[in-house]
Amino acid sequence: MQFRKLAFLVILFSGLIVGCGGTPDKNPLLEEAKTNYQKAENDTLIVSKAPVALKEAEEELEKSEQLWSDGADKEMVSHHAYIAKQKVAIAKETAQLNAAQDEVKRAETQRQKVLIQARKAEAQAAEKRAKKALSEAQKERQRAQELAKQVNQLQAQQTQRGLVLTLGDVLFDFDKASLKPGGEQAVNKLAQFLKEYPKRNVMIEGYTDNIGSATYNKQLSRRRANSVQQALMDRGISSNRIQIRGYGEQYPVATNSSEAGRQRNRRVEVVISDKNGNIKERSS
Amino acid sequence: MISLSSIVKKMASYGLILSSLCLTISCASSKPPTEQVARTEAAINQANQVGAQDYAPLQLRNARKKLTQAKSLIQHKKYDEAKRMAERAKVDAELAEETSLSKKAQDAVKQLKESIKILKQEIQEKQQNQ
Repeated sequence: MQFRKLAFLVILFSGLIVGCGGTPDKNPLLEEAKTNYQKAENDTLIVSKAPVALKEAEEELEKSEQLWSDGADKEMVSHHAYIAKQKVAIAKETAQLNAAQDEVKRAETQRQKVLIQARKAEAQAAEKRAKKALSEAQKERQRAQELAKQVNQLQAQQTQRGLVLTLGDVLFDFDKASLKPGGEQAVNKLAQFLKEYPKRNVMIEGYTDNIGSATYNKQLSRRRANSVQQALMDRGISSNRIQIRGYGEQYPVATNSSEAGRQRNRRVEVVISDKNGNIKERSS
Repeated sequence: MISLSSIVKKMASYGLILSSLCLTISCASSKPPTEQVARTEAAINQANQVGAQDYAPLQLRNARKKLTQAKSLIQHKKYDEAKRMAERAKVDAELAEETSLSKKAQDAVKQLKESIKILKQEIQEKQQNQ
């Protein structure tokens, strides 16, 4: 009997010891909140940028822990643990928000500086463009002066139709269309000019005096214009830059009643186009 | 003979016991947490206004769900539980709001940095073209 009693007591006590020694069930939400809070507490960004939100989280966590150690209802412990957990998350977001706002301020200042740099760069580029434009204008002027000089050498005259170069009949023998050697020099100059100004074209117009039939004279004047064209082509000028006309005894520049006048009427006129290659057709 | 005063005394003591009994019962759930619900609704509205629908849709949804649950608890006269549910809904809404603001600010930082980068590139290109 004695032994039975003792055994019963032993079993009872051991049961008690186990019951006390075994830790009570932890609340998982509370543990999660604690872990999150500890992380946040060690985060210098959150500590410095969201101290109030962090404090609120701490207070909720303390409430939850207090309730838990008082053995309060699980739902109450979890409630405050949940709020603590969310407050930790809020603290984190608040810290990031504040950090981002600081960053926006810094970036805005930097942007202003860069904008000023951009304006300076733009001004410099504009200055550069202006200088370039100016130097191009100067070049254009030089080209115009050069042209004037060239035209002067060709002894061309400025007329309503543009620059006109008159080649006298000394270039051709009587009733012949082939170029005399003396005419070579004039043609060389013209070819040189056309090479230097590739956008300018020419119209070569042949004229005669009124001796002989009009039809014949027309043909002769055209053949002469043609031989000038051929001479230019021999010097490398493309045929599509050269138009020819035979006007015969039309458009005399002097009287045909004297030899001196007739000599002036026997001629080839070279009309030089404008700088776009256009030449007005003779109308009067 | 029972005096009038003793009857009054008895009545008073019964009343006291009765009222204290009432108090203990009602202490658990005396009246619906109307104020808490209003505060939670305000927090949800605020989160909505700062774009939580786009920036923190899950948190906002959590808040709304809990608010609905809180209202249903009120209908079942579980006022204390309802109040706590509404409190949790409010903290969800606050997190949704803060997350939205934070994300927006971070987007702004990104955009600013991007525009600075582009500006710098443009400057470099201009200087190289010179």
